[in-house]
Formats: sequence, C-alpha cells, structure tokens
Amino acid sequence: MPASSIAKLFLLLIFSMPLHAEIFNIEYARVSKIGNGYVLNAQINYPLTARVKEAITNSVPIVFSQQIKLIRHTPILGKYWSWERTPWLTEIRYELRYHALSQQYIVRNLGTLNQRSYPTLSDALHELGHINALTLPPEHMPDTDGLELHLRSELDLYALPTPMRPGALLSKKWQLASPWVTAQWD
Amino acid sequence: MGNGTMGLSLIKRLSSGTAPYLYLAILLVILAYFLSLATQDSSQLNDLFLLIFGLAIVISLLLIALLARSFYKLYHDYKNKTEGSRLTVRLVSLFVLLIILSTSIVYGFSIHFLHRGINSWFDVEIEQALNDALELSRSSLGIRMRTMLRQTRMMSGVLSELPDKDLNHNVHELTKLSGAFEVSIWDLNGQLVISSIGNNSILLPSRPSETIFNQIKKKEDYISLDPSEESGFLLRAAVRLPKKLPAQPERFLQVIFPVDERLSALGKKVHNAYSNYKELSYLRKPLITIFTLTLSLIVLLTTLASIWFAIWISRRIVQPLQDLSAGTQAVAAGNYNMQLSAQGHDEVGFLVRSFNQMTQRLTHARNANQASHRKLEQQTNHLTTVLGSLSSGVITIDNKHFIRSANIASSKILDVDLQQRLEGMVSNLSTHHPKLTPLTLVIEQHFSLKQSWQQQVEIQQQKGLQTLICHGTPLPDDTGYVIVFDDVTALLQAQRNAAWGEVAKRLAHEIKNPLTPIQLSAERLQHKYLPLVPSDQAETLTKLTKTIVQQVEAMKGMVNDFSDYARNPGLTLSQQDIGELIHDVLTLYQSNPHHHFTLLNSPKKISLNIDANRFRQVLHNLLKNAIEASEEANMPVDIIVSYHLMKQDSISLLEITIRDHGPGIADDKLHSIFEPYATNKQKGSGLGLAIVKKIIEEHHGHVWAENTGDNGACIIIHLPTTIEER
Repeated sequence: MPASSIAKLFLLLIFSMPLHAEIFNIEYARVSKIGNGYVLNAQINYPLTARVKEAITNSVPIVFSQQIKLIRHTPILGKYWSWERTPWLTEIRYELRYHALSQQYIVRNLGTLNQRSYPTLSDALHELGHINALTLPPEHMPDTDGLELHLRSELDLYALPTPMRPGALLSKKWQLASPWVTAQWD
Repeated sequence: MGNGTMGLSLIKRLSSGTAPYLYLAILLVILAYFLSLATQDSSQLNDLFLLIFGLAIVISLLLIALLARSFYKLYHDYKNKTEGSRLTVRLVSLFVLLIILSTSIVYGFSIHFLHRGINSWFDVEIEQALNDALELSRSSLGIRMRTMLRQTRMMSGVLSELPDKDLNHNVHELTKLSGAFEVSIWDLNGQLVISSIGNNSILLPSRPSETIFNQIKKKEDYISLDPSEESGFLLRAAVRLPKKLPAQPERFLQVIFPVDERLSALGKKVHNAYSNYKELSYLRKPLITIFTLTLSLIVLLTTLASIWFAIWISRRIVQPLQDLSAGTQAVAAGNYNMQLSAQGHDEVGFLVRSFNQMTQRLTHARNANQASHRKLEQQTNHLTTVLGSLSSGVITIDNKHFIRSANIASSKILDVDLQQRLEGMVSNLSTHHPKLTPLTLVIEQHFSLKQSWQQQVEIQQQKGLQTLICHGTPLPDDTGYVIVFDDVTALLQAQRNAAWGEVAKRLAHEIKNPLTPIQLSAERLQHKYLPLVPSDQAETLTKLTKTIVQQVEAMKGMVNDFSDYARNPGLTLSQQDIGELIHDVLTLYQSNPHHHFTLLNSPKKISLNIDANRFRQVLHNLLKNAIEASEEANMPVDIIVSYHLMKQDSISLLEITIRDHGPGIADDKLHSIFEPYATNKQKGSGLGLAIVKKIIEEHHGHVWAENTGDNGACIIIHLPTTIEER
C-alpha cells in the first residue's frame, strides 16, 4: 500500500509525533519441526484501548494484521556483518466485529474467509492471537542455518471506515502494534 | 539548442500573464473534487485522503506565503506612495471584504446544513425501534435456543444410557430425527469420540471452542447463536453426558441446529439494519469533523486563491490607470510624445487610446505652434530688418506712453541711444535729453486725439537746428502710437541754398554787367572834367569819382562773391595731403608779425580725396574770418589749427578745427552764421562762411561753430575720409 505509506510519511513530516505506541506484545513464538516440515506456534496478546473497544461495541469492524517473515543471514565478515534477505513474507489479516443479535464476537480470517464466534471479547482476542501450528514454506527452508523468523502484529487503521481514519491515524489511542519479535527454534 | 530555447519560451509563456492563475484555478478545482471524492466511503481515493488533504494544506500554506508576499509588496508600495498603490489598496480591500463576507456566509450556511443534514439521519425513535426489533429477534431466537437446549439434554440423556458400541448408530438416528446439522461427542481433552453430520460433503465436525470446553468443565450447559456466512444462523448447544461408570472419562454432546430460514433471514435483516445504524451513529462525530475539515479547507483554498486573484486583478485594473497617470504627468512636464500601450477593448482601453490621440494632437498642435512661432519670429526679424534699414526714424509707444520699440535710424536722427530708453516713459525722454523736449511735447499733445497727425518739429542739435517731419498714427485696437519722423534739415538747407544760388546768379548777372561801364564812366568823368572844374571843386570831383570807383570795386567784389557762391562748377577731386595743404595756406598768413598761427599736426600723414582749390578757399575764408573778428574786437590774433582722424557711428572722419581767441559768437547767431548775410562783422560780403558751408557740404561734410569755454570761437569741420565724385 504505497499510498498509505506516503501518507504516513507525510503526516510524520508534518506532525512529527510518534505513530506507534507499541502495546501489543508477543507472549511467545516458537518454530518446531514436525516431520520434515516446520510449524510456528505463537501467542500474541492484544490489550485494546478503551477507544478501540468502544468502536468494536459500536459495530465497527477492526482489522488485525499479523506479519511473519523469514530472514536469511549470510555472513560476509564473520559475525560482524552479514547480508540479510527476506525469502518469505506473509500477512494474515483478521477482522474482529461484534454481532449484536447473537451478542457474539466474530473473528474472520480475511484470507480464507473462515469465521468463528466467541461469547466474550477476551475469548475472541485470545483466539485471534493464537497461532497454532502454522506451516512454514518448506521450499524456503532447505536448511535453517542463518534463518530467522520474525513476527509482529498491528491494527490496520486503513481498514477503518473513512471518517474515522484521519482521527485514528493521528490519535495515540489507535496506534496499536507490536515490535518485530524473533521466534525461537525448538 | 532549438529544443532548449523552445522549452524556455514555453516555460516563460506558461509562467507569465494570466496562465499561472488559470492553472491554479484548475488545480484548485481538481483538488476540491478529489477532496470531496476521497471523503466518500466507496471511493478508491479514500486511502489517498490524507495525501490529498496534506497536499491541500501545503497549497494553502504556499498560497498564504504568496499572499503575504503580495500584501507586503502592496504595503511597501502604499508606504512609498507608489503611483496607483492607493487605488490598488482600495480595490483589494473591497475585493477581500466581498470575498470574506460572501465566503463566510456560504461557509456558515454550509456548515449549518452539513451538521443538520448529518444529524437528521439519526432519530431517537428509530434508534429505539431498532433496539426493540433486535430485542424481539433475540427473544424469538431465545425460545428456539431454549427448545434446542432441552432437546440436546434429552438427546444426551438417551445417549448416556447406551453402550459405546451402539453410540454410532444411535447418533446417526438422532441426527436424522432431530434435524440437526451435526451431532458430535467430545471428551474434555478435546478428543472427538463420535460424530454424525447431516451434510455428506462435510467430513469433520466443527471443533468446540475453548469457551465450550471451559463451560462444560464447570458443569454448565452451553447454547449459543452463531452467525454463519452461508446459512444465516446456527444454534450450537453443548451438554455434558452423564457418566454411567465413575471411571468413564468426562464427555459432552455438541449439537448444531439450523435456524428456521425465515427467522434467520429476518434476524439477519434486523441485525444488519441495527449494526449499520449503530456504526453510522458512532461515525457521526468523525464524519461531521471530516466533512467540516474538508469544507473548511476548500473554503480556505478558495478564499486564499480568490484574494490572490483579487490582488492580481486589482493590479491589472490599476496598471493602465497608473500608466495613464504617469503619462499625464509626463504631458504636464511637457513630454507630448508619450504613447501608452493600449490593451483591451473596455473603457480603460478606450481611455488609453483617447490619451494617445490627445498626446498625438498635442504634439501636432505644439509643432504647429512652434512653426507659427518661428514664422512670427522670422516676420519680426524681417520687420526689424526693414525698420532698421529705413532712413526714417520709427518709434512705437503703447497706450500707457511707454516706448516699446525704436529703430536704429531713430537713434541716429535724434543722436540719442533710444535702445537704452525702451520700456521708459516718453516724458522721461525729455528729462534725460532736454533737446528732445519739443518732440516729446508734440507726441504728448497728440496722444489723446487718437488720430493720425503730422507736424514739423525743430530740435536744437549740437550741429545746428534740426528739422523733423513727424507722422503719428494710432495702432489698431488703441494699443498705442507709431511715430515716424524724417530729418529734413538737409533738404531745407538745400532748398535755401538753391534759392540763394538763384539770387546770387541773378545779382551777378544783373549787377556785374553795368558795373564796368559805371567804373569806366566815373574814371573818364574824372579824367575829362577834372581839368575843367575849378580847383576848389577838383578835390570834390576826385573824391566823388573815387568813391564811385571804390564802391563799384566793392560791388564787383561782392558780385564776384555772389558769383562764387552761385557757381557750381563741380568738384575736381584728387588725393591731397591735408597737413601739407593747411600748411601751405597758413604760410600765406605768416607775413604779419602780430598774427600767431599754431598747427597741431596729426601724427601721421592723412590723404583725402578733395578738390584742393576749393578746400584752400574754405581755409582762406575761415582764417580771414577769424583774423577779422579778432582785429575788429582789438584782440590778439592767435589761431590754432588742428586736424585728426576720428570715428563717429563707425564712420571714419577727418576733423579740422580752427580756433581763435577773439570775442566769440553771440549765442543767437551761433547756429546761423553759416547762412548768407548772417555776418556780425563790419566788413565782408556776408557770404564767406556760407561759401565755406557750401563747399564742405559738396564734400559731404559738416561744418559748425562753437564758442570755446574761455574766449574765442571754434569752427569744426567733419569730412568723411572717402568722398565720392558727384
């Protein structure tokens, strides 16, 4: 989304205020070998601000983005300097919304369009943050030497309804994201 | 090279004149369009909203900077009182006031309508109705949920009684009987025990969520309404299976029921309406904010651009007026060649063209004026030359008696520098030059008559009485008088001379002839009758005849004088050394020791073209006259003769003076002694000085007499150095 990046950059230049108050956190992230392949298990905690919760209660759908990438380090000057490249990068997007009639919180994978409903928001968020045995692409993992898996998650503010977007982009209460976290190899 | 030049000229063309303003206007319209488009939810541009918004802010800042610069320039011009700055400021103020006033009104109303429009979407009653509808749907679905939970409990009761081997068959049967989508039995570790799915295309049952497991572990039943994408709603119920044996693991039954299609569709509709309303209601504030912001930005942009345009248009309106003002000042300063570039076909353009026509006409008029002035000057010069070359004196006097002009001849005739007396009163002339009193009196006398006049005036000049014939003519429109006068002295003299010549000729002719017989007869009478008369009478006879002879001789002398005077033989001119000539004549008078003659020689030899014989006669007559005058008064004969060259009125003259130490000349005779028979001597014919004058005048010279300061008289002769033969 280059346009949004430009817009962000532009706003950064104009208002020069911190865009991300990194309050999402990754509890754990592990890569395990199962058979010949590798899977990722992780738990991301999504503590939401009251402003975000209010929006959810008012039927505004919120999109969460989970970004996972594999980074391969090729050492050039021993341990001092290595060449980095990203052979694989993926983004999993979930939409969380409140279903007033059923009084359920629906989490929907925007890639597969599968959805599940949860009676409470914390259940929904817990399930949302739970990455259970995500298969990693074997073609990019012939060997795991110098290979790292990085993970982060954020709110996709550009998925908010247009009228909310400028306010959300400028408000600290909407700047929810986690830093990049490196997964452990089991 | 060519391309570069073309590019440069294109840039120049695009950045000059009205072009930048047009581009700005188009850019603003596009920007405003995009801005409004980006606020629409469906627009593809809404991701770009912030970018467009930022761009608009940047353009606004740019415009503010431009405006600040324009205003500063305007203020600077106004402060320095630059031509046209006041009008520009006035126009700009007016435009800015109008723009701000109109945009404020439009902006105010727009904001008001925007708020009202958005707020009008929301209604308390509609909100309540939607809440009620949602509640109704929930109640309706709640009945179904409770029924299904009961049914699930019954199913769990049935299944708990059965041995594990019969479970599979009975679960299938129950699925069919209950109309459930799927029936599955799970243990609390999350392991599937058995399942039956109504739809054959689905292989695996839906795994219960952690919440269900947790709830079952708490020994609570679970029922929930799950929204589904495909089939509207599903009812998920989970009930713990009673254990037959204590060692048996804990299990629970999960049954998923479909919801009645109609109920599901209605519920979905109600929910959609409710959630849309809820979302929209929540978005009301940001929506109003963003619309207000967009509108404000568009208004700001429009206002700024309008003000900028107002400044530009004001300058454009004022520019020709400014040019006109500068042009008018240039014309006022005398530059009539001022031409302004006329643009446009409006009234200002018309004014500029009129100005250009006016300056053209002024230039023509000035040229014509200059030409006529030159012509007038030429005519004046011509007239001055004509007047200057006139032998008559011409004086103009205005109606206030001031002398306005006098030609050269007038000064010459009156022997007064009239050029110095210009712009002076006529009466002042006689104050400075008393000799001119008769003339000024005559002029003053006739001034009030306002008609032409002519009169003879006599002026006492140094050389003698001068007779002038004056003509006065009033100038047109009572602007004064023109006085024309001629010196007729010479003419009168010539007439007098001619008359005397005629008299002399007749006398000579009529008297000379009988004189010789009278003399001869008297001598014969004496000779014949002297012996005959008695001796006492002889003496008487002798005395008588002698008297006759003497008188006849005297008469002869007189007749000869007359003859000389009347004679007009013409001059025999030759180059003569004046000094030598005078010296020769004086030599003849040296014999008498009582007579003293002094000759003051001129330092250089002076030759003059004169008739030597007649000039000798002049000198003889003058010397004789001086000697006789002194002798008669018994005064010593002491005569000083001098001659020298001199210049008078740029004419080279020879001046000869003969000064005696006699009794001098009576004042009343001073100016008439050169007239025939004007003598005061006892002897002489009375023609000697008249002859002198005649000869001198024949040589185009002047002769006059003056009394010297102490005693004696002085005869002065002026002769031009070049004498033409008559």
